[in-house]
Amino acid sequence: MIYLDHAAATPLDPKVLAAMMPYFSDDFFNPSAPYAPAIMVRRSYDAAKDTIGRAIGARGDDIIITAGATESINLAFSSIGGHVVTANIEHHAVLAAVKNFEHTIVEADSRAVVSAESIRQAIRPDTRLVSIALANNEVGTIQPLRDIAEVIKKERNARLARGDHTPIYLHSDASQGVGQLDVNVARLGVDLLTLNAAKVYGPKQVGLLWSAPFVELKPYIVGGGQERGIRSGTENVAGTIGFAKAMELASEHRGFESKRLMKLRDTMQKTLTDAFAKAVLSGHQRHRLAGHLHISFPGIDAERVLFGLENRGVLVATGSACAANKGTRSHVLNAIGLASEVADGSLRITLGHLSTDENCQQAAAIIIEEVTKEYARVGR
Amino acid sequence: MTKVYVGMSGGVDSSLTAALLVEQGYDVTGVYMKNWTQDLPGMKCPWADDLADAKRVAVQLGIDFKVFDFENEYKHKVVDYMIEEYKLGRTPNPDIMCNQEVKFKIFLETALEDGADLIATGHYARVRHEEGRSNGQLVQAVDTNKDQTYFLYRVTGEALGKVLFPLGEFKKPEVREMAKARGLFTAAKKDSQGICFVGQIGIREFLSQYVEQKAGSIIDKQTGKVLGQHDGAIFYTIGQRHGLDVGGGLPYYVVGKDMDKNEVYATTNLNDDALWRPQLNLTSAHWINETPEAGEYQVRVRHRAALIPTQLSFNDDGSIELTLDNAERAVAPGQSVVIYNNEICIGGGIIA
Repeated sequence: MIYLDHAAATPLDPKVLAAMMPYFSDDFFNPSAPYAPAIMVRRSYDAAKDTIGRAIGARGDDIIITAGATESINLAFSSIGGHVVTANIEHHAVLAAVKNFEHTIVEADSRAVVSAESIRQAIRPDTRLVSIALANNEVGTIQPLRDIAEVIKKERNARLARGDHTPIYLHSDASQGVGQLDVNVARLGVDLLTLNAAKVYGPKQVGLLWSAPFVELKPYIVGGGQERGIRSGTENVAGTIGFAKAMELASEHRGFESKRLMKLRDTMQKTLTDAFAKAVLSGHQRHRLAGHLHISFPGIDAERVLFGLENRGVLVATGSACAANKGTRSHVLNAIGLASEVADGSLRITLGHLSTDENCQQAAAIIIEEVTKEYARVGR
Repeated sequence: MTKVYVGMSGGVDSSLTAALLVEQGYDVTGVYMKNWTQDLPGMKCPWADDLADAKRVAVQLGIDFKVFDFENEYKHKVVDYMIEEYKLGRTPNPDIMCNQEVKFKIFLETALEDGADLIATGHYARVRHEEGRSNGQLVQAVDTNKDQTYFLYRVTGEALGKVLFPLGEFKKPEVREMAKARGLFTAAKKDSQGICFVGQIGIREFLSQYVEQKAGSIIDKQTGKVLGQHDGAIFYTIGQRHGLDVGGGLPYYVVGKDMDKNEVYATTNLNDDALWRPQLNLTSAHWINETPEAGEYQVRVRHRAALIPTQLSFNDDGSIELTLDNAERAVAPGQSVVIYNNEICIGGGIIA
């Protein structure tokens, strides 16, 4: 099997698994229990949050552990509310959450980049939240978050200058970029940050919402008062320990891994575009995740290619997984104005830990065969 | 090369059907028929997965694949029909209607227009083609346990002349084996159950979305005594035992209902005439080919029921009179009775 869908899920790193294991058995205690072994677990849990905090340049205390990015996004939105600004290439979790509020959805450009200027124009006096993902999950483009943060800072200062204390915050879902990009909250200039352990070789159903100390979160799941009373329920100790280990490893290997993936990706891109002159590459080619390759073969049915590849042990995506399941065209590809003939022939190839020189070469050869087969079938 | 359009549902039967036809040298195109479905909160409709599975197998076989959208036709001809029949106090069979109106009519027509010479489905049945005749005869499947001719009796002989049923020659376990041997993705997939668009919610809940629930009495047929209350006579069918909620003693069976009065009649008498009917009057007769002569035949009152030797005669008004050798239990108005001349299914009608 050659796995080329790291943007959908990543395999648990063996070191992450090893770090988690004791907390399923020997150290199973409830971190809220009063006896010494439980207190040791509580300390490990807090230390894990501190580790995660260090990886993003934040304090562990300002992190709420959730059951994944979707929950984090929902928590951020329900806490901040008000008028919300987001973009038409955002993940379904954001586009669904935004429906509960007054909102403005700005349009990304044809390279799937959301400009800071478009955000500036969309901000209203009652805007309280701007939510833009660090990297797009489908075409892999990296958004100019720092510029957007500047726009928000200016708006905040302008409000204060006229005595208006309506807060405005920048939230970013950085799940997709965390393995390859710097996600330091101060450098990004965000006020809230969502991450998902499952995208960075950690466990599924574990995520976080970080918020700056001045952001007031509202209790989202009430109960025993865990996670500062914002998100009650016995802590996911093993998951959080695993998340911490995954973040530690990501910080350690990020620089090397990004370079490695970019080289593999560029080689594969060249092989495929050399084979098919009419292939279309989507998304800003420079501001793009290192392991991400979004390529369309106009006139063919990408789903057939996906099944053909699957049959030969090569796993790719045709778009965002959710869009594919609902049998509808990807909203991201629509948003960037890709013609339907091009969009329907799109493959999303995302490299990661499981990618090697050898299997990428093999995969490229198999993709060429399968795409050629489809072109022959439709007579082009 | 003969062009065959195969209805592929994403199940093992239609997958193997397509595979066999490819092996037999036909030019095969897979077609997924999108029928009407409803999205209910908290219920996952499996059609998208089924469509993907059908397409996956088509790619595996290297054949073309299309989606025909029959959602409107299906809603009008099958779903609305079923709801109307229930409202009239009858017990209809939507699968029979689906075959008559959708699979062997609209699908056939659409496929032929699209360039097909023949269509095929994964039904367990056989078609016999006689020399010099374009019509086909419907013959029971080799696997008598799976035979689906009961659902196919309202298809026309003309349509059958354009139909292939490759699975009619095999037994179900063989079909699974053959699918597995060919590495078909759907080889181990569970068979679908029940009426597709009703899904897992059950017919009662499905109907209650379309009809008002109205309390009425359950009455003992022998004593006239009110046994209890029900929430709509529409939800009851003749012969039904469960769901009566009259409590205690011998089990009660539904033996009749009055839709105008919204009353359900029940009895503990297992020998009640209404439960055992040796004489059946059929309307809406349909003959696959020629109208048969009066005489000795076999009938089946529900899918997989045993064949019962029967005397067939015609009334003056054209309706069919059947005299069964042994009385059949729980036959409800609206239900289909299918008539066989040994292994050939010749047609049937609906219990008046």
